[in-house]
Amino acid sequence: MNETQLVLLLFLVAFLPALYLSGRRVQKGDSPDLRSIPAFDALRGVTARAIETGRAVHFSLGVGGITGDTTADSLAGLSALEYLADQSAAADAPPTVTLADPTLLPLAQDAIRRPYGLDQEEASRAAGHVRWIAPEAAAYAGGVMSILGMEAVDANVMIGEFGDEYLLMAEAAHRRQIAQIGGATDPNVIPFVFATADQTLMGEEMYAAGAYLKHKPWHIGSLLAQDFMRWFIALAIVALVIINTLF
Amino acid sequence: MISRTVSTVVAMSVGLLVLADFFVNADSINALGLYLIRTASIVAAFALVLGMVNVLTVHLGKISHRDKGWGYSGVLLGALFLTLGIGFMAGGPGSSWMQQLFEAVLFPLEATLFSLLAFFSITAAYRAFRVKSLETGLFVTFGVIVLLGQVPVGARLWDQLPVIKDWVLEVPALAGARGILLGVALGAAATGLRVLLGIDRPYVN
Repeated sequence: MNETQLVLLLFLVAFLPALYLSGRRVQKGDSPDLRSIPAFDALRGVTARAIETGRAVHFSLGVGGITGDTTADSLAGLSALEYLADQSAAADAPPTVTLADPTLLPLAQDAIRRPYGLDQEEASRAAGHVRWIAPEAAAYAGGVMSILGMEAVDANVMIGEFGDEYLLMAEAAHRRQIAQIGGATDPNVIPFVFATADQTLMGEEMYAAGAYLKHKPWHIGSLLAQDFMRWFIALAIVALVIINTLF
Repeated sequence: MISRTVSTVVAMSVGLLVLADFFVNADSINALGLYLIRTASIVAAFALVLGMVNVLTVHLGKISHRDKGWGYSGVLLGALFLTLGIGFMAGGPGSSWMQQLFEAVLFPLEATLFSLLAFFSITAAYRAFRVKSLETGLFVTFGVIVLLGQVPVGARLWDQLPVIKDWVLEVPALAGARGILLGVALGAAATGLRVLLGIDRPYVN
């Protein structure tokens, strides 16, 4: 076993029990107070405002898919999309969903369909609001800019994996004064999100959608486990620096 | 119900096998891991067909309902079939015709679109640089220091500016980026483990 494998094994050995114990703790009712994240508060009001104005919500899942290094980003976007789909199904006003990687297409269509239950006709009609634009980042951005520029859009939510194309889409939304909620994990993209979005989900905040929007016990538990691991890693770094300095 | 259970068992087994492939150096497990990853690539390729069906459905619907901008949908479908036709007749994506199509049409269009980034960066920075809070104040201060430190005029104004710029980039900015990356890695690991353990099942909606 090489060094990388050993470190990752140690990480898993520490993380798995932390995840299990935190999840069980929250399941038993010992739920912690979560700090406020304004972007999630804003997401709760997005659908209601769109219904009032008679316009659509545009949801971008970014350029990532479910077979790459950034699958977690796509799953975080899907988690937020599921919440919006649940809310909008009651008023039969599903969001317009765009994506670049076709592997996400069935998952996004399922997220939109699920709230309609056994009403297959309505579910299929709602799933038609999911659009695969193009696999290339530039072509995808061009397609989204066209939707934001030509269609009646009240809010633009972009949560997923993005590169520089984020700015092209966000500026197109800004020109039409569309309210924006943006989320990204890439440190090179986060400044674009900060500069253009009204509410932002930066870095790990993006993965907390399930905990904040749906209050899922295991998602809240995993936030506790992440905090534990952060302390564990920080203390390990300090301890290793001291050991290396002294010996 | 049965399909949900089967999906969960298959997803968890495949996930655990690929994870085991990373840790265990045994030929049989390594070969199985490689086979599963290749299978995923093939399934992903089939998703492209789903994507094409989606494009056809959306844009044919737009054309038939005469929605706003339906003419663009016509152009898009025309371009799609033209590219497909050239690809089939010329002998695939490696053929000289397809290469010409990429080099003469697609790449220049992409370059043009991305060249807009320079202007969009300026307008976005203009809005972001309006000081509204302590955070934006710090953003502006460090932004100005780094901008001035990057250009020769900054060194002429004050010879310590490039030194401060290097410190900003190498200490607080790098520390912040590493903090973000650590949080992202933990969040991604937690998401992955939830799927691996069957707590999150995006595949059985």
